Amino acid sequence: MVCIPKLRKGKIMRGLKSFLRYHILEPLKILASDKRALVGLSIVIFYVLMVAVGRLFIPLDLTPHREKRYLGPSWEHPLGTDFAGRDILAQIVHGGRDVLPVAFLTGFVTIAIGTAIGITSGYVGGKLDLAITTFIDIFLTIPGFPLLMVVAVWLLQSGIPINIFIIACVLSITAWAGLARSVRAQVLSIREEAFIEAARCLGLSRFHIVFNEILPNVMPYIAINFMLSSVSAIYSYTGLQALGLIPYEPGTWGAMISMAQAYVGTITGAGCWYVLAPSITIIVLQVGLVFLSQGIDKIFNPRLRER
Amino acid sequence: MTTPLIKAEKVSKIFSVGGMFGAKKYIKAVDGVDLEIGENEILALVGESGCGKSTLGRLMLALLKPSSGSVSYYINHEYKDVWSLKGKEFREYRRNAQLIPQDPYSTLNPMKKVISALTPPLLRYKIARNRREAKKMAAELLEIVGLSPPEDFFERFPCRLSGGQLQRIAIARAISVKPKFIVADEAVSMLDASLRIEILNLLLNIRKSLKTAYLFITHDLAIARYFARNERIAIMYLGNIVEMGRTEEIIQNPLHPYTQTLLATVPIPDPKLARKRELPKLRSLEIPSLISPPPGCKFNTRCPYAESICEKKVPELKEVKGRLVACHLF
Amino acid sequence: MTMKWIIKRTATAILTVYIVITITFFLIRLLPGSFIEMMIYYYMTQYGMSEIEAEEMVYSLYGIAPKKPVWEQYIDYICGLLRGDWGKCYITGIPVLEALFYGLPWTVFLLSISMTISFALGVGLGILMAYRRGGILDNASSVFASISRATPNFILGLLLLYFLTIYYPIFPSRGSYDISIKPGFTLEFISSVLYHSFLPIMAYVITSVGGWMLAMRGSAIRVLGEDYVIAAEARGLKSGRIARTYVGRNAILPLFASFAISLGYMFGGSVFIETYFAYNGIGHIIGLAMSWRDYPLIQGGFLLITLAVVLSNFIADLLYGKLDPRVRRGGMYS
Repeated sequence: MVCIPKLRKGKIMRGLKSFLRYHILEPLKILASDKRALVGLSIVIFYVLMVAVGRLFIPLDLTPHREKRYLGPSWEHPLGTDFAGRDILAQIVHGGRDVLPVAFLTGFVTIAIGTAIGITSGYVGGKLDLAITTFIDIFLTIPGFPLLMVVAVWLLQSGIPINIFIIACVLSITAWAGLARSVRAQVLSIREEAFIEAARCLGLSRFHIVFNEILPNVMPYIAINFMLSSVSAIYSYTGLQALGLIPYEPGTWGAMISMAQAYVGTITGAGCWYVLAPSITIIVLQVGLVFLSQGIDKIFNPRLRER
Repeated sequence: MTTPLIKAEKVSKIFSVGGMFGAKKYIKAVDGVDLEIGENEILALVGESGCGKSTLGRLMLALLKPSSGSVSYYINHEYKDVWSLKGKEFREYRRNAQLIPQDPYSTLNPMKKVISALTPPLLRYKIARNRREAKKMAAELLEIVGLSPPEDFFERFPCRLSGGQLQRIAIARAISVKPKFIVADEAVSMLDASLRIEILNLLLNIRKSLKTAYLFITHDLAIARYFARNERIAIMYLGNIVEMGRTEEIIQNPLHPYTQTLLATVPIPDPKLARKRELPKLRSLEIPSLISPPPGCKFNTRCPYAESICEKKVPELKEVKGRLVACHLF
Repeated sequence: MTMKWIIKRTATAILTVYIVITITFFLIRLLPGSFIEMMIYYYMTQYGMSEIEAEEMVYSLYGIAPKKPVWEQYIDYICGLLRGDWGKCYITGIPVLEALFYGLPWTVFLLSISMTISFALGVGLGILMAYRRGGILDNASSVFASISRATPNFILGLLLLYFLTIYYPIFPSRGSYDISIKPGFTLEFISSVLYHSFLPIMAYVITSVGGWMLAMRGSAIRVLGEDYVIAAEARGLKSGRIARTYVGRNAILPLFASFAISLGYMFGGSVFIETYFAYNGIGHIIGLAMSWRDYPLIQGGFLLITLAVVLSNFIADLLYGKLDPRVRRGGMYS
């Protein structure tokens, strides 16, 4: 009786170990072999750590200190101070607390919708496929950010409570179509492959064919699109905040950009730090994600995976 | 012949090309073919590329649905159309009719390791009770097809294996479910010549131990002759079977003009004999388009013996000298 | 190019516009009643209107006719749009279409120049990168392209605005030309226009050239691997000629597909960039509409942008169809 839980624990540990080895450690090793991907990965990990843990070390104090407006960098304020004499570094460290969750959640919603629609369209085919491709073409033509502006204005006026999940869903409106298109094209060519016919002939279930045979082959596209839709989510999110169409808390990157925009004419002296800091913060994160997306297809390329 | 395991009756397959834009065109890839294969029997199906032999193989496996006619499988003491089979019966048929495809490089999912290609069918048909048992069985299968030690191959991705190794794995996977009937579609044509005999012998050994029947599709008469010795051979031309019978009889004494042409293309090692060989004089080297095949006998545009009836009437397969031939000459 | 293909393509374009119109129509209808009531209350208190007056005001602003059934309103709405009745601006009362047409030429001017520069530059650099792939030039350019692709245009616009008009006042910060100069076909006026448009164009080009570079690089590498290019090299054709006639044309064609996305992205950015530089385009007008929450104007701007993108994309597709014999013969999906 005492033995059973022990045995099970060993099994779980072994499973966990092999999972870590094959799905986390090895992909990371391959990523690290590509310089650009390594830079991208380091940037993204750094940002995640900064947002998750960094704020425990650097406190955010938003009380205005009139006498300390627009100070240059110093030991006390490594990135200087803003128009109300508040530390810029602290705002940068704390300021990603909404952007990162929104970006990654949008990525997830986008790949869920895009993959589901792309696979359905490519695998089922026929009239449904024709309808879906027409729909995808139309959605790719509708200008994304202007559509988001209209939807955001509507959302503000409709009185629907705006939370991260709603924002992620709205931001996915403009992102799913591209992924659906490339997944569909992939599925169409994979469907004709001999290994799918072999699986059908072996009587393997439709579920098995879609999830175990087709899905691994479109994984690179899904992973890349996860990164890219995060990039466009960050663009749209901060952009809509800068337009005042998504409410923001003070001390976030969106708030800083928005304020820098509003006060740009009156910024004096060392105030350039207030413009530079959030701009560079956002650009570096975007570059990191783009680099990572460029390197990520190598993880899934089995030729590189095996020694 | 014993009771046929699987039979095709007047089976046809029409593909449409084009559509959406421009006029739709129809290709009759398989045109009213009758075929029977008994238990543990070999039928070699020979024809040029594009003659519909692969399509016929896929019709036999219910990977394609026939446009007309039917493919029936002997199950629970009667013949049933494979497309009318449901549930348990369909599963049994699926399990018993397997395919060894042509191109070994695309037969396995490039994203999955060898072991993940072998275990799902074993688990699906409950041949193995759990993963560990499936793994053990997969190892045995790899031993059978000559890949040892099997553990060396389990964790490999297909791109790291040679064509011969991949084809062996494809064979291992096909026989893993202990099928009664295997369609081998050009199973050795993509392999190096040195490997071919080895794989052919492997398939023949499997037949001995598993008592499987083969529909062996090839464009190479020499290979068909080797594989189907003491068995039957069928010659296919533009969707029709033109001649079918015992292998040796047909090779020694081909009756249909098309079979004669095909045989003439097989190289003979002895130059003296080769020079003496009579080549039928083809009227045209061009193979007619499948979209608009010539009326009557489809071979009449090329046949050296064509008469006026050949352009009007489609010849039926009839018994001549202990075999079936579709030609007005007989 | 078959007639059928043109008809199908036209139908898709019209369907796109139709769907956008329907979205904007139903978004308003989906607004909860409380919002409309709030607006009526706002007009009653702010402008001292009677309830009936305020109701009429709000209904006409949002194009709502409460007594008619929804489908009739829908048809009225579409007919109105076709007649050029796009509603009235919320604040100024000017017809939406008039307000937008005021800014349209300036936006078309900015975007067409930016798009041309960015496309030409991206295609040229992309081919160069493909030829020298793996080299220093390729690596440096693709790092630059990735940064360009990753930089939001509104952030680059802000940086250019701050550093080149305020911190170092090299360029003018406001307007599309010096208002002390009389508009006309004079050298002085044209140079003033170009001077004022320099920074906005920079902002567009720098943030969109990277996408074209990466797309062209990938496309050209694919074409370089094709048999006909290898055969041309084997025949000893000069590499310059191969680059122009074999690689260039075949590699550019697939890029037409991303035309709509790129143009849509630039139009989206125009709301920021034109606002920053107080440029008199529709982006600036829509930006102002945003801050006033002028829904009819925002919606009209969205419709106009969509029309522009659909139309340009349609032209790009026709061009593509003319250049690519495969499309001329077959279908989009065959």
